[in-house]
Amino acid sequence: MRPEPEQGGARGGGTAAMLEIVGLSHFFLSTAGAEPVLHDLTLTMRQGELVCLIGRSGCGKSTLLKIIAGFLAPSQGHCLLEGKPIVKPGPDRCVVFQEDALFPWLTVRENIAFGLNDRRLTRQQRHREVDRFLDLVGLQGYGDYLPRALSGGMKQRVALARVLILSPLILLMDEPFGALDAQTRDEMQELLLNLARERRQTILFVTHDVQEAVTIADRVLFLDRNCGRICEELQIELDRPRDRSSAQFQLYRSRLHQWLRQ
Amino acid sequence: MKGKDTALALLIPLLALAAWFMVSAMGLVPDYLLPHPRTVFHSGMRYIFGPPEQEPFTGRFLNDFCASLARVSLGFSLATVLGIPLGILSGRLPVVNRLASSAINGLRAVPGICWLPLAMIWFGIGMKTTVFLVATAAFFPIYQNALTGARLVAPLYYQAGAMLGVSRIRGIFAILLPMAMPNIIAGLRLGMGISWAYLVLGELTGVPNGLGAVIMDARMSGRIDIILVGILLIALIGRICDRLLVAVMRACFKSARRQI
Repeated sequence: MRPEPEQGGARGGGTAAMLEIVGLSHFFLSTAGAEPVLHDLTLTMRQGELVCLIGRSGCGKSTLLKIIAGFLAPSQGHCLLEGKPIVKPGPDRCVVFQEDALFPWLTVRENIAFGLNDRRLTRQQRHREVDRFLDLVGLQGYGDYLPRALSGGMKQRVALARVLILSPLILLMDEPFGALDAQTRDEMQELLLNLARERRQTILFVTHDVQEAVTIADRVLFLDRNCGRICEELQIELDRPRDRSSAQFQLYRSRLHQWLRQ
Repeated sequence: MKGKDTALALLIPLLALAAWFMVSAMGLVPDYLLPHPRTVFHSGMRYIFGPPEQEPFTGRFLNDFCASLARVSLGFSLATVLGIPLGILSGRLPVVNRLASSAINGLRAVPGICWLPLAMIWFGIGMKTTVFLVATAAFFPIYQNALTGARLVAPLYYQAGAMLGVSRIRGIFAILLPMAMPNIIAGLRLGMGISWAYLVLGELTGVPNGLGAVIMDARMSGRIDIILVGILLIALIGRICDRLLVAVMRACFKSARRQI
């Protein structure tokens, strides 16, 4: 296994680029010809950074995430993760999907351990590792439940645990809390922030919820549908935990709203 | 709750039995068309437990049952071994589907009974013909359900598997088959039911032993009680096989245990 972030610390080398995307273009082929989605897109993320990607529906947010995950090969350009090109999906770039993508015939514990199968761990080591992550996402006592017995929020906790256990270089999140009620969403955001800080986890978080973006992000990027690239960028310089009622927070919020309304 | 379910399940068979008793007691139907349930019961007991060859049909059951079971098992296994892999492949690979579907759908339109004359010429009378008929009939539901199951697996699950480090080949066993399991089992159960139906068809053609053969022999010698015994036994054994099939699948596969 890769060294734990809290022990080693300098996993990506401090401020070095974790993810580097240069000149990325993608077209979908349809009957009407090639339909451009992303055009000459550039994006750089530092190690340990939490970046939110916002944009209106159909702007290519999910497409970009799929390309970084390796589910989709871009038409042009390249993505580098720690300097190495991305060619296929792998456990160094894990995704938490919007929909429930847990394996329905496996218990919570088995779902979380799924990615550990090809790592050389003894039964006991694996068991302890899974226990640790059950604790981490607050699901102690639910290890033997099947996914269908869990609420939406709990399912997303399992989804989070099953990827974090692999210590991915970058965590990709595709509107993971979009289907949750407001209360649960707040809890999940808090959980994510705690985990991200503890583990210095690099996260690319896609959302269309402006409030969510200002709450969690270090930096917010706006992906515009018309030009197909990132055309606005904003560093959120608010102390954590962030007070949503503060004037500063509202200022950031209305700024992002403006982008979306353009 | 469990007791209530059982009672409900038994309600209609018990009512039918009661009606049968009444019809026989009142003499509404002559004995040579529908014998009294008691007669059928006694003939059944003699057929199953009686000393062999004391009189016609006594003690034949074990021999007939084993012969029929061997034919059904063999035919059903053949259908499974061909149907599941072909169905899964057709469900996942458009090339295979295009290649196989027109031929398979064409053949499916042929009623199973049409194969009988051909099978008799090809394989003669007996084991091979019956096994061929059973396999042919059971193949289609098994194939079709495996295909549907494989096709319905959302790409999301493959993506989830791929990012968790599952290769494409391992994904077949780690993701595809477990996801498709409910459909696969539905196909197997349908196939099993059809197997018994076509078993009787195959055995009606003049084989010396088997549950279908007994029914045919009984018709020749005018023993309607034995015909009824044969029918009831096939219904019972078919039901047991279905339960057994589900139990075995649940015992062998986590995905079966937890999804059906």
